[in-house]
Amino acid sequence: MNSIPDLRVILIDDNEIDLLLHEKLITFQQISRTVISFANANKALEFLSSNIALPKIPPTIILLDIQMPEMDGFEFLQAFDTYPQKIKSQCHIVMVSSSLDYGDITRTNANPLVIKLLRKPLLLKELKETVEGIFKDFV
Amino acid sequence: MKENRIRILYIDDEIHNLNAFKASFRRSYEIYTANSAQEGKQLLKEIMVHIIIADQKMPVSTGVEFFNEIKDTLPDPMRILLTGYTDVEDIIDAINKGHIFSYIKKPWDEHELHRTINNAYEIYSTRKQLKEKIVELEKTNDELNRFIYSTSHDLRSPLMSVLGIINLSRLDNSVVDPNGYMNMVESCVLKLDGFIQKIIEYYRNSRLEVEYEKIDFNNLLNDCITAFQPQNTAIRFHTHVDQVAEFRGDTFRISVILNNLISNAVKYQKPEEPEPMVNLSVKAEPHKATICIRDNGIGILSEHLNNIFKMFFRSKNNNKPGSGIGLYIVKEALSKIGGTINVESKYGEGTQFEITIPNRNEFDT
Repeated sequence: MNSIPDLRVILIDDNEIDLLLHEKLITFQQISRTVISFANANKALEFLSSNIALPKIPPTIILLDIQMPEMDGFEFLQAFDTYPQKIKSQCHIVMVSSSLDYGDITRTNANPLVIKLLRKPLLLKELKETVEGIFKDFV
Repeated sequence: MKENRIRILYIDDEIHNLNAFKASFRRSYEIYTANSAQEGKQLLKEIMVHIIIADQKMPVSTGVEFFNEIKDTLPDPMRILLTGYTDVEDIIDAINKGHIFSYIKKPWDEHELHRTINNAYEIYSTRKQLKEKIVELEKTNDELNRFIYSTSHDLRSPLMSVLGIINLSRLDNSVVDPNGYMNMVESCVLKLDGFIQKIIEYYRNSRLEVEYEKIDFNNLLNDCITAFQPQNTAIRFHTHVDQVAEFRGDTFRISVILNNLISNAVKYQKPEEPEPMVNLSVKAEPHKATICIRDNGIGILSEHLNNIFKMFFRSKNNNKPGSGIGLYIVKEALSKIGGTINVESKYGEGTQFEITIPNRNEFDT
């Protein structure tokens, strides 16, 4: 499935087991060879801002959890929204959550930065279809 | 000074009235006196009283004027006006505006005044209790909100991780499991998750405001069938929607009702039945919709029919026990939107639920 050679995936989730599960799924499906995991949304933001210096930002998929201590998914989105277009245009954000909270779901769907909300447990089929949907114009 | 005594402030410019009042009532109440509105105000800054009695005829400011002045800063104490037979207009006006609880004619009758004071205090303490209860309720509701939110997340999140691990173990074949233990773990996790979801559903039904929008019954039924068909692929679904009028209703509650009833119809089928079926019919009319859900499943024992809508009731006579909350949620959701439900069932032959839901179309309002 590896149709975008330099595609990288950034995982942001405070649950270490979910990070591991998602990384395994991505590797299993060969979606990307580069998976960068963050248990803390702040650290992910720092990493992304360090990317500004890069001559070319690789296409990036961000799998973002909603409920996290310190900085939650929505706060991450708010902060990321202020980032330069150069980075934002390369990053495709997919929310991943086990939340059934109506407020969380409507808030996620209303956010223009979010491409899709996927339920946990993340299913291989859904992940694959979402990634294909994002890059259908490239193939 | 006893804490539970009724505290009264009496304001009158005639000193002998103040003394007479003290003499008659000091044994029953804790009494403070002032001989002008000005002095009364000063006293009220220091002492919290339950009842204020003021004479109407006083120099500088009258009783009604005094009450008007303090009602915004001191809304709680009950106000009683003491007056001669004159100034009726003022008094009626003041009472009608709600500033004054009662008025007493001078010279006062001791029994009458006692009675008035006690009635006033009763209202005072009832209002106070009510206020305290409201604060308490708001706090409990707020806590419940946060509790449900964290339940939905903190309980479900690790469960979903377990399901993720099971899924992964199947993908990479890394677990040798000849006895199918993984499947058992999975079915237990799904059962627990189902129960958590029911609790959230119950909670949302009781908290969420009712919202009316256009309902497409064909879509709603198809969504349900798509969701439940995989649980028993042998079941044949028959649907018949007769929508003669546009229907408006609360989407969330109607789908909760349909989901629970159809889920039951799918779940409680006879294992040996060669042609399991679920019949769904909807008739949407200008003023109501009638929805019928019929199955040829195991049925419900007649002695249990009266209890099936009770919380946590489970019919003993089946080997697929549920959470005992589904039909309770159905009933609660119906009562939120003004619907009714009827059930007919023959044990061993099948069950039919018929619900009616009022149509909230514009021409009704």
